[in-house]
Amino acid sequence: MQVTGAEFVQALKYLAAGICMGIGAIGPALGEGRIGASALESMARQPEMANTLLRNMIIADAIAETTGIYSLIVAIMILFVV
Amino acid sequence: MSSELVGKDLVWRVQLGPMEVAFNPLTLATSLGLALVLGVVALWFRRGIPKDPEAAPSRRLVLLSAFLEFVDGQILGAMEKGIKRALLPFVATLFLFVWVSNLAPLLPIPGLVAPTRDLNVTLGLALLVYALSHVYGIRAKGVLRHGKSYLEPFPVMLPMNLVGDFGRTLSHAFRLFGNILGGAIMLAVIFPVLVDLVSRFRWVLGGLLLLLGLGVLGGLARRGRRKACYAFGAAWLGIAVLFVLQVWSPLVWVAPLAFVVGTGAGVVLNFFFGIFAGTIQALVFTLLAAAYIQMAAE
Repeated sequence: MQVTGAEFVQALKYLAAGICMGIGAIGPALGEGRIGASALESMARQPEMANTLLRNMIIADAIAETTGIYSLIVAIMILFVV
Repeated sequence: MSSELVGKDLVWRVQLGPMEVAFNPLTLATSLGLALVLGVVALWFRRGIPKDPEAAPSRRLVLLSAFLEFVDGQILGAMEKGIKRALLPFVATLFLFVWVSNLAPLLPIPGLVAPTRDLNVTLGLALLVYALSHVYGIRAKGVLRHGKSYLEPFPVMLPMNLVGDFGRTLSHAFRLFGNILGGAIMLAVIFPVLVDLVSRFRWVLGGLLLLLGLGVLGGLARRGRRKACYAFGAAWLGIAVLFVLQVWSPLVWVAPLAFVVGTGAGVVLNFFFGIFAGTIQALVFTLLAAAYIQMAAE
């Protein structure tokens, strides 16, 4: 079977999107894990602070998630736009 | 005016003077429609508030004050009183709009997509928040002191502060957009895969199901529950007949199996990607909007 140039490019696009999303998810996963762990620890230590901690945890999660979202956008752009 | 399909989305192009403007009519219609619905609901709530402040609170008033209390306590949280009062209406409206937009695709209306799945909507909201942060900053500190905050901690940091503003607004928009679009893509991708898996493993799945049924039947018989035994046995026989009939045509067995598995997966996935992620993202979007405006006003 002869693989044409266009098919090769398409295959590389799928590969690139997969790698982009996979590597891009590592950082946010580690960061959000750390955030969640510390927030739970603090909540267990000071249950009366739980509401404030939860709010700050969600904000910190959202910020840690940003790079993951960027890699999602790049993966979508590789797949559908480029 | 011309219309064309970009990807799967219908796009209208309108010539406005020297500029060509592109619209996504579906997004436009859903976001305007949702805004209209929210407006009508808000008016209905307004009418439910008793005129006499001493009167017993009505149900709508209680619901309204519970919602505002939630926004006040959870989203605005530890801000100082003055800015809290100024921000509460805007932040509550923003939260309601984004939340309802995220949950919109749960409605069984064909063609209805979440407006927040479109980058234009989220970027518009993020730019609105950015503009408002300047408005509140200037109002709280005056033009000069607000402008001077870009030269802090030292004047060399000016480009960094400007890039920070740009990236903050961009990531604010992209976060909501990416999360909602990602959820929608996951939902669209999982169902065909699920149907494929069900049709591939139809023998294994059916065998396991029937063995499980036999076990339950045995348990019922041992407890001597005769009526339940007959009813369950009849259902089991029906399933077994469908299972055997797949020798004749796989569709007889695959279709009901895919229906059951698809319904179960649909409930779980729509709950996770629709309700859970939609609510969390609406909360995050409004929390960050309030935090950005507060930062500028400090």
